[in-house]
Amino acid sequence: MATNKKGGISKPALILGGLTLVLLVLVIIFFTGGGGEKVKRFVDSNLPKTAETAGAKALTKTVTLFFIADDDLLHKETREITAGPTEADEAERALTELIRGSEEGLISPLPPGTKVRQVYIARDGLATVDFSRDIADSFSYGSTSELAAVYSVVNTLVFNFKPVKKVVLLVEGAERETLGGHVDLSRAFFPDYSLVAR
Amino acid sequence: MQIFRIKRPALIAAVLAIAAVGLAFPGPVAAAPAQDQALRTVVIDPGHGGLESGAKGKFGNLEKDITLAVSLKLKALIEKDMGFEVVLTRDRDVDVSIENRSAIANNRKAGLFISIHANGSVQRKAGGSETFFLSLNATDEETRRLAYLENNSSALQSRIDPSSDNDLMMILWDMAQNAYIKQSSRLAELVQAELDAMLGTRNRGIKQAPFKILTGVACPAILVEAAFISNPDEEQKLASDAFQTKVAEAIYRGLALFLKRGE
Repeated sequence: MATNKKGGISKPALILGGLTLVLLVLVIIFFTGGGGEKVKRFVDSNLPKTAETAGAKALTKTVTLFFIADDDLLHKETREITAGPTEADEAERALTELIRGSEEGLISPLPPGTKVRQVYIARDGLATVDFSRDIADSFSYGSTSELAAVYSVVNTLVFNFKPVKKVVLLVEGAERETLGGHVDLSRAFFPDYSLVAR
Repeated sequence: MQIFRIKRPALIAAVLAIAAVGLAFPGPVAAAPAQDQALRTVVIDPGHGGLESGAKGKFGNLEKDITLAVSLKLKALIEKDMGFEVVLTRDRDVDVSIENRSAIANNRKAGLFISIHANGSVQRKAGGSETFFLSLNATDEETRRLAYLENNSSALQSRIDPSSDNDLMMILWDMAQNAYIKQSSRLAELVQAELDAMLGTRNRGIKQAPFKILTGVACPAILVEAAFISNPDEEQKLASDAFQTKVAEAIYRGLALFLKRGE
């Protein structure tokens, strides 16, 4: 009886204690595991660069941007941008550089003053880029300049960032029919390298 | 997950559709006007208008004014020598949304659609003329579906059997679009050859692009880019009545050849 009663009392206590223990272990694993991974990843990504650059300097990534040249085609130009932490951050920087313009005398197809508000990369490979209204309102596009503007963005993202397969353009957080009356923005774009010089 | 849900039935429907091609084609899809009935209406679309002026030239000329002038000339030529009704998507300097432009074409049962533009580039030296037709390669399942829903005008519905299920309708719409694209490319080719012969501008050829105005029109459709308003030399040409007449005549000749060979 007594043992039974004792067992009856201690059983829930035991279960509770067991659960607490499991939870504790899980919490410990979560923190040490997570922390460990973070540190490892940080060290890993540090490894190739630390040999050549000073430790204090930010890590860089080389991206290829698409600018317009005299032949009216898109031409590639490489640029160093700050790396990480996410590919969306890098994509945002690459596009900001695209707007900032060429260092080799080429022309940016995007209106100066345009800001990249956000880049979001979804798991299915769809990158959504949100530009400030300057991309549409401060410029009058012809078909050629509008195609160049759209595809410089699309090509830059798909060319440099492996997870990106297609791109949607937003203006001030909203869908827009076109930038300047020509190219349909309601669709996701795949890159078009036929507009790029060989 | 959502994409999967769309794709699975679409795939099944695709298999069904392929099996049913022989049955489906002479029925709903073959109602494309240029195939089984005489062309009655040509819709001409003067690009831009109103607050939306399109590309701007160094000397202050606006794309919207040039496109309207050329369109009016082309309308007069067609009405004079061919027995078609010509509908303009705008006949003065007003804003018309792109959706309303394609709605005009679909409601008037356009047999052909010609959008007229003057080009612009950030590169001042860029010049020449080119003719576009729709590219669907920038499209995937979801966006096609969206485009279909957006453009599902009454004209379209009457051409596609409404009793078929949604996925099947989607596929039939695609088939119809593909049929239009072949004709569009032929019209583009003929118009471009005439532009090249008559304008003396660089021949930039025919191209495909995902232009909004071309996506919603339920008939063969082209977009003509006659010269560059961003190129000072070409801007001055574009502003002249003589050059505008030449552009209209070149398009008219291309259209005449298209109709002749189509018979």
